Amino acid sequence: MNSQYDEGVDMPKSVHITAPWPTQEEMEKSLGISKARKRALRPLVDELKARLSILEETPVNSIEPEKRRKRASAA
Amino acid sequence: MPPLPDPKGVFLNVPYDEEFISLYVAYVVGLCQLGLVPHLAAEIPGGDRRLNRIIQLIQSCSYSIHDLSRVELSVSPSATPRFNMPLELGMTITWQILNPEKHTWFVCESDLYRLLRSASDLNGTDPCIRGGTVEGVLRELRNAFRRDRAPSVPQMLTVYGLVDSALNSILKKNGTSNPYSRSVFLDLCSSSVSLGTFLPSAKPAI
Repeated sequence: MNSQYDEGVDMPKSVHITAPWPTQEEMEKSLGISKARKRALRPLVDELKARLSILEETPVNSIEPEKRRKRASAA
Repeated sequence: MPPLPDPKGVFLNVPYDEEFISLYVAYVVGLCQLGLVPHLAAEIPGGDRRLNRIIQLIQSCSYSIHDLSRVELSVSPSATPRFNMPLELGMTITWQILNPEKHTWFVCESDLYRLLRSASDLNGTDPCIRGGTVEGVLRELRNAFRRDRAPSVPQMLTVYGLVDSALNSILKKNGTSNPYSRSVFLDLCSSSVSLGTFLPSAKPAI
């Protein structure tokens, strides 16, 4: 019986990615997202961005636990 | 000869079922938040045999994630086990053994003991145990793909919450109830990337 069967298959726990962070444009190109798709999604994305900026402006620790729970469920 | 794999590409081998939707969205959002590009078998255009398309997709990605948490018997009277995910993992392992420099794969499970029972050949390795939660998926992705300046799990959870809340609108926009369809998958990716405030801006054209 070969050792690979006995010992199992090696699998990495993690990889360290050293490549530079891609730009949003590079990500969209790799995903094959067309300009038309992006345009059609813009109203929804703008709404999500507005909600994100509100969430980011409010430090989590400054919100009372009850409101924090409501905020999490609203998101 | 297959083309060189995309160093950002991650083949996502997950079950396409209703109970998995929130975890599927978490995988898509989490990978985009880490500057990686998820790929699903559903996104490849038809025409060729499905198995050929899947192997091409695996070859085109530097990484793959295989979530085996739904390797279980179906609820139908025939109680057939679901083998698609392990089959695609087997194809990936073969590809990786033949081309160790081109591919790295990860296995995710909800519970370590399930994997020990269902795929004992994987014993001695470290699966990502995500505990069946969205937070667990994001945490395991962040642990598996380490990179400098990665967003924190709470930051990723915030973006996940926003994208998940938009899922119904995205389904409606695409006239489908299938979140795994190509168009919905691309819209989920596009939304996640647009909310990735950590991504650097492209240099302005001179």
